[in-house]
Amino acid sequence: MTLRWIAAGLLIAIATVVIAAAREPAPTFDEAERRAIAAHGPWPPAPRRDLSNRGSGQPAAIAFGARLFAEPRLSADGRLACATCHRPDRDWTDGVAAGQGAVPLDRRTQPLWNLGHAAWFGWAGQGDSLWAQSIRPILDPAEMASDARRAARLVREDATLACFHRAAFGAEPPEDERVLVDIGKALAAFQETLVSPRTPFDAFRDALIAGDAAGIAAYPDDAKRGLKLFVGRGECAACHFGPRFTTGEFADVGIPFFRRSGGVDPGRFEGIAQALANPFNRLGSHSDSADGAGATRLRHVERQHRNFGEFKIPGLRQVARTGPYMHDGSKPTLESVVEHYSTVSLDCLHGNTERLVRPLGLTPGESADLVAFLRSLSVEAPLPVAPPATCP
Amino acid sequence: MRAVLTALAMLVATSAPAVANCPLDLGRGLGWAVFSSQHLLAMRPDPPQIEVGEPFALLLNVCDRRNQPAQLVAIDATMPEHAHGMNYRPRLIDLGDGRYRVEGMVFHMPGRWELALDVRSGDTTERLTHDMMVQ
Ligand code: HEC
Ligand code: HEC
Repeated sequence: MTLRWIAAGLLIAIATVVIAAAREPAPTFDEAERRAIAAHGPWPPAPRRDLSNRGSGQPAAIAFGARLFAEPRLSADGRLACATCHRPDRDWTDGVAAGQGAVPLDRRTQPLWNLGHAAWFGWAGQGDSLWAQSIRPILDPAEMASDARRAARLVREDATLACFHRAAFGAEPPEDERVLVDIGKALAAFQETLVSPRTPFDAFRDALIAGDAAGIAAYPDDAKRGLKLFVGRGECAACHFGPRFTTGEFADVGIPFFRRSGGVDPGRFEGIAQALANPFNRLGSHSDSADGAGATRLRHVERQHRNFGEFKIPGLRQVARTGPYMHDGSKPTLESVVEHYSTVSLDCLHGNTERLVRPLGLTPGESADLVAFLRSLSVEAPLPVAPPATCP
Repeated sequence: MRAVLTALAMLVATSAPAVANCPLDLGRGLGWAVFSSQHLLAMRPDPPQIEVGEPFALLLNVCDRRNQPAQLVAIDATMPEHAHGMNYRPRLIDLGDGRYRVEGMVFHMPGRWELALDVRSGDTTERLTHDMMVQ
């Protein structure tokens, strides 16, 4: 009899604990956390003009660029357009681990969101402007494998493209190379307009700042707990910083840097040398800014041993829709990325001295929370308006 | 995103003794003063707010304890918690009379940055340091 009562009492006690767990209060954020969260906005940011590109922000150049972006004749065999790899219906990437150009590529196709605010382009930051980086695939034998002459001839001989070109940049320059640069600048002007949409995270961030209780409550608890890890113990925000969730710089998080094609990918170490050697960089004759505005980084960047195996810190907006992940596409899902940060072996960190990347040892619940937070940075983006078919 | 002025933020122009040889006059703006028994250094960033990942310049004015212009020999910045320095090499421009402009500084990560300033007067060389929180 007494035993039964004790058993019943225990059951009631257990039930109460379970109910208490289910009613676990929603996570709250202290002052430091609020400040860190606020730093990930506001969104969208004010547009920024690239002074080295006279087409930046100009509607005629943007229209020309939109047209060129879908133009397969920019490639040698007439089959590859920018949009073949950077697909408008796939958040401007292709969903495969490694790009496929004229030959298979070693690195994954990067999505093109929010590049108007970036300073370095490509996984190694081998481009110092969006227009230089847009010229690169046209000339790269592994990608579109074309050349200045062929690209210029296309724009001169196709009446519609010639008309778009004139509308954007005025009279056609005689040199093929300058026509090629105009193509790059129009492509850049177009890509600057690709700003990712507002997400549930942005609504939460704004509500938190405004003290809007309903807006705060609308953001799921698991995403809140994941956000707490992101700005707290995970130290993710040290690299994935600011409104775009990237400082714009480079780091080594322990992804092996062996190339599919053999050898190693030196990452940023090589990228700095490539950026400095690029005839289309901001210090070259093709910049539209006489005083080298925007070239400060290129002038002062310094190659160091630790740059070996560093890659561009990707922005995380739309990240749930842009896998597979990392420069080599080696992580198929967000779960596998979080697993990586949870269990990364310090032996994998090549020259790493950051001390920011170390095995976090997350519980399954914490890992799920972090993934829920990362998902809250993404929504389905409306399809872009089709580029104008005819030249005005 | 704004640089938190951890040290006592002050109007440099008003904080310094008005001595003709070393006026510590950097124009208007918030800045920092760093002292030792040997040297006094005033500086302010340009643009006035240091943003993570954005290039900025530093305007500096260095004096010795007799209020004569001193020399800025080198400048560097590191994140002691992360054991790394800057990704960019700053350039020191000597404007004369203990005034300097340092171009090409970039604090590429949020957190504590320690600025190390090597200053010299006569045959005294010393390193002054100053902490900055950038977020
Ligand atoms: C064959 C597939 C392919 C084609 C075609 C292609 N790209 Fe890419 N794109 C990539 C890959 C792969 C990367 C990563 C390159 C690297 O780091 O080496 C990339 C990177 C970029 C980046 C850098 C993004 C960032 O976040 O830094 C830009 C900008 C870009 N491409 C624009 C273009 C433009 C404009 C075109 C057309 C002229 C184009 N791409 C054609 C595969 C492609
Ligand atoms: C030291 C800087 C640093 C820290 C800290 C860091 N990351 Fe990263 N993150 C990177 C870099 C660099 C890459 C790309 C690495 C590569 O491709 O080799 C990356 C890649 C990613 C990706 C894949 C994005 C893509 O498009 O491929 C995700 C998701 C991500 N990080 C989330 C996180 C989370 C969550 C944390 C905290 C647990 C975190 N990161 C901490 C620098 C960092």
